[in-house]
Amino acid sequence: MTDHLELLEAEAVYIFREIAGQFKNPVLLFSGGKDSTVLVHLALKAFAPLLPPFRIMHIDTGHNFPEALEFRDKLVARAGLQLIVRKVEETIKTKNLDDATGKLPSRNFLQSHTLLDAIAEFGFDVCIGGGRRDEEKARAKERIFSIRDIGGAWQPYNQRPELWDLYNGRLNEGENVRAFPISNWSELDVWNYIRRENIELPSLYFSHERQCLVYQGKLIALSDYIMIDPTDVIVTKNVRYRTVGDMTCTAAVESDAATIDEVITEIKNSLVSERGETRIDDRFSDAAMEDRKLKGYF
Amino acid sequence: MDILRFITAGNVDDGKSTLIGRLLYDTKNIEADILKSVHTANSTGPNLAHITDGLRSERQQGITIDVAYKYFTTAKRKFIITDAPGHFQYTKNLVTGASNTDLIIILIDARNGITDQTRRHSQVASFLRIPNVIVAVNKMDSVNYSKAIFNSIKSEFHTIAASLNLPPVQFIPISALYGENVTTGSENMRWFTGKHLLAELEAAIPAHVDSKKNRCTIQYSSGGANEHFAFGKIISGSFSINDEVIIWPTQSRSRITKLTANCNEVSKAIAGDNITFYLAENQKVKRGDLISTGLETPKCSIAITANLCWLDDTAPLRLNHNYILRVNASEVQCTITEVIYKIDVKSLEKYNDALDVEVNTFALVKIETESPITFDLFSDVPNNGRGILIDLTSNNTCGAFTIESSK
Repeated sequence: MTDHLELLEAEAVYIFREIAGQFKNPVLLFSGGKDSTVLVHLALKAFAPLLPPFRIMHIDTGHNFPEALEFRDKLVARAGLQLIVRKVEETIKTKNLDDATGKLPSRNFLQSHTLLDAIAEFGFDVCIGGGRRDEEKARAKERIFSIRDIGGAWQPYNQRPELWDLYNGRLNEGENVRAFPISNWSELDVWNYIRRENIELPSLYFSHERQCLVYQGKLIALSDYIMIDPTDVIVTKNVRYRTVGDMTCTAAVESDAATIDEVITEIKNSLVSERGETRIDDRFSDAAMEDRKLKGYF
Repeated sequence: MDILRFITAGNVDDGKSTLIGRLLYDTKNIEADILKSVHTANSTGPNLAHITDGLRSERQQGITIDVAYKYFTTAKRKFIITDAPGHFQYTKNLVTGASNTDLIIILIDARNGITDQTRRHSQVASFLRIPNVIVAVNKMDSVNYSKAIFNSIKSEFHTIAASLNLPPVQFIPISALYGENVTTGSENMRWFTGKHLLAELEAAIPAHVDSKKNRCTIQYSSGGANEHFAFGKIISGSFSINDEVIIWPTQSRSRITKLTANCNEVSKAIAGDNITFYLAENQKVKRGDLISTGLETPKCSIAITANLCWLDDTAPLRLNHNYILRVNASEVQCTITEVIYKIDVKSLEKYNDALDVEVNTFALVKIETESPITFDLFSDVPNNGRGILIDLTSNNTCGAFTIESSK
């Protein structure tokens, strides 16, 4: 085995099997984006001819792209997987939390509440996620099996030694693990794998015409969730999404790339990083992701 | 395109982060927005060192505390860089990072020469048997590109390499700051006739399993009375359909009747493959079992002698205290019955005293397990000759070991 995609796939399958072997109650976190879609594909491969021994969960912020929800339901039905949906909106109501406000309200921080509640509700001991180390500098430091303490927090200065492929998922009361099977994949690896395996993605990832608000040079899709001011500039452009998060904090990129091959060429030539180009939520500070992870975020 | 995983180990100011930044920058693997974020107000160019430090405290203190992973590709291969801390107190993180690498770059500041850190990093390379070692003598620009200084470091390191049994070492004089002998040659060091660093990285042979001994670790199994599926990974050798196999540690025997690798039914699968298989008469296996064929069977014993690195900074090694010992997916309780010697990482001398084996200490120890474990010697089948110790109370990984002999 010498091809990098084969090696990355083998590593991910091995991690999935470690998860199944070590934990009682795993769940795979699904967002509708390309990374979690690849994750589902790998999970199906890891346990074939059986179904993966875990359910899929979507933490629904209420700010989703309708295309992503439609894709989610189709994928889950086709694969025969069980889907759990937990809504941030419900958490806001039952816990009487302040909803996100402003022009582009982001429920990113609120999402952690819903996730932690769902972990407690179902007693999940491990959440499997599509986080990749090349996405962001705090993610670059995280272990494959990342232990979260009783409050769901990551302890970046006290991570468990993790040698060879011997992932230690033993837990104390109240702790749980976030496991990242595609830690070592780059954005381009993900796309090349999608091409190789012919994996279907939400239509958002390919060029389409869309009305967008121009905000600090970024293109934000028009939706009911954002506030439009009379002075705002609205344009209609051919765009695609490089990452799929919430409608309020994910920017589109101008693009005519309509096929996987064209997307791959576009990414190869791009001078800007994936999150830099598309995420409004990481622009607040140098440690935005680190801070979210300390509060239970993925 | 294959993958090479390498680690950079260096002292705090040896220019480790600058070197990684340089590799990424010169190979055009840094995007414009990331580059912009590391431009500091007073400097004329990007501060390459800031590309790697990911945590707030690391950026504030200007040090690396835990391992960070960076990725880049050239036309030849995909590289996974493990950026590891240099400080003594973070040796356990260095060991974590180095355990999965094909190659280590030991960085030496030409002005300081070989230091205690160099010897400690070499000890880590030796403990893990990293198959490729490069010594990069950095900051050659600060010593007038002196060939004599480079050669004296080289000959001093040869002594270390010999005493630690390191593989053949490549030496490269570099300036990470000015990009000399990193991804291109150097006008200032025409006396150096070897390859530059990137060329060495592109040419190195990744760690591979060359043992013919057939071993498969069982990670998970499932199924009902009629169909029982075993999910595992071949860690050495190969398995074929109809192979007579032995299931360890029970030593029951069976035969593979159906074999799939990566979802495809196959007649043979090899080391590195994730396999699913069925055994004759629906024979069951479980997580922690090891499968071999009848020839060259693994060792099965309740006593081993192992090289150990202690990783727990909350408690020292306790003799005759219960720990969990894990080799691949198999876990048993064990006790450490004797510390044969410790290694002074400054002088690399072996010694023994009555003091505790503290965090970041290397030692040779005897371990006894509650029930037999199945293994090979680390020198023989590395993937089946290494393991971790887990603290029963904290569940923390408190030690890593490689098996030196059985008994």
